[in-house]
Amino acid sequence: MKQFLSIKKITIALVAVFSIVAVLSINGCAPTKAVAAKSGAQLWAENCQRCHNTPSPASYSAEQWETIGMHMQTRALITEAERKKIVDFLKSSR
Amino acid sequence: MKQHIALKRSRWLLALIVLTTSQLYSQTSGSLDSSILDRLNTLEQQVNYKKPGNDHFMMVGLTTFGFAASKNTNTLNGVGSTSKNNSFPDADNFEFSPMFLWRHGTKFLMEFEPSFNNNGLSVNWADISYFAAPNLIIRAGYLVLPFGTYAKREAAGWIDKLATDPMGIADMTPTDYGVEVEGGLPLGSMKLNYDVALSNGNQLLGDGTLASGNIVDNNNNKTVTARIGWLPFSNSSLELGVSGMFGKVGDMGSPYANAVGNMYAFDLNYVKTFSPVLLNIKAQYNIQNITNENFINPNDSTQSYTFNNHTTAGFVQCSVRPTEANNFLKNFELAGRYTSYNLPGNSTFGTNQHTVTVGLDYWLSWRTVLKATYETYTGNSTASKVLGSYNGLTNTNTFYLQFSIQL
Repeated sequence: MKQFLSIKKITIALVAVFSIVAVLSINGCAPTKAVAAKSGAQLWAENCQRCHNTPSPASYSAEQWETIGMHMQTRALITEAERKKIVDFLKSSR
Repeated sequence: MKQHIALKRSRWLLALIVLTTSQLYSQTSGSLDSSILDRLNTLEQQVNYKKPGNDHFMMVGLTTFGFAASKNTNTLNGVGSTSKNNSFPDADNFEFSPMFLWRHGTKFLMEFEPSFNNNGLSVNWADISYFAAPNLIIRAGYLVLPFGTYAKREAAGWIDKLATDPMGIADMTPTDYGVEVEGGLPLGSMKLNYDVALSNGNQLLGDGTLASGNIVDNNNNKTVTARIGWLPFSNSSLELGVSGMFGKVGDMGSPYANAVGNMYAFDLNYVKTFSPVLLNIKAQYNIQNITNENFINPNDSTQSYTFNNHTTAGFVQCSVRPTEANNFLKNFELAGRYTSYNLPGNSTFGTNQHTVTVGLDYWLSWRTVLKATYETYTGNSTASKVLGSYNGLTNTNTFYLQFSIQL
């Protein structure tokens, strides 16, 4: 029973942490100007290699990169702005 | 007079030429315009015909194929035995996994990855994601739970820099039926990401181990799994993560009905170029605590036994790849990993296990790799001698040659 209570406490703590994160993000926790100004090429170089080698733009068609971009957002949890810039870069560099 | 007539004729001739030329030009110009318009119409029809709708389907996938040669030594009660094995595909070295991706517009993504390996045909994941808001994705289905990062991001053969998985890490990351909410958030020059899942949960088996992925829930309690990742540097080179998984694991109405499983994981990923090499450090440490229960003695069903059901698994991996060399040398990558996996003592499966793994990879493309890996394994049994499960000390040295590709 004690353990079950501790699970409840942990869950409540997690929910609290997520709430704080949500509030922070809603309240305009935007990226700095320098981060927001990053190009798709720079974001491609920085983020893809966190898990695997940087992909060649020629690997997929423009339409396929849209799908791959969404798949990668669910895996690497990059922000939507990053995903759009990276996909635009890959589509334009084919 | 003759001159005047000649001048008059010349004027008429000039007027005729001008009139004829302009008429001819006018006809040519009209004919060109209609030809271009026809072609444009045809092209428009062709483009319209091929213009995709909102539904987009694509298939990618990966395959891994390998060869393993090993020498195994076991010492039990002072008596040693040695065996040698070599084989083409085994569970660690063969996988054929096509992945189907359906995208509907920019809001829905359906993912399905069946997998064929030496364990047979199975499903790695099958889920649908809804991109509800800029940094909010809602998912439902058969999910890889957000516990650590290895299973979700690093386990694929064409990503993993070594031929084997680190012991215990992927095993302690179940796939389960449930719902999930996740996203990445900008935070000034830093980033955060969150991932929370609610699923059926694990099932405690009669020997104290856990099973997962049951389509029929074994109890009415749901398991919460959550991970928070923090990328403190603006270049995203470092990510630190903490995860937890909490829920009841016992079958409803069974003697283990109140059994609870609490799991924690800590992960690290660092990727940075220090000229002339690209350095990549990955690490994860898992802790699993299950309430101590009384289990039926496998040798005497009238008796029971118990043990401290505490498991840990962790690995640290480091790899380097040249960034300033000729194209041939740039394709090599050197990797090393230490793994520790400690299963509960006095159980039927208790073992303290360690592996040291080194490998040299050659990247044929960004997603195609040939790996040569050497691994030494030491397993020291901590299983119950009373239950007859103790199996001494085991040493195994294995050489792997593995090819993996993603298409």
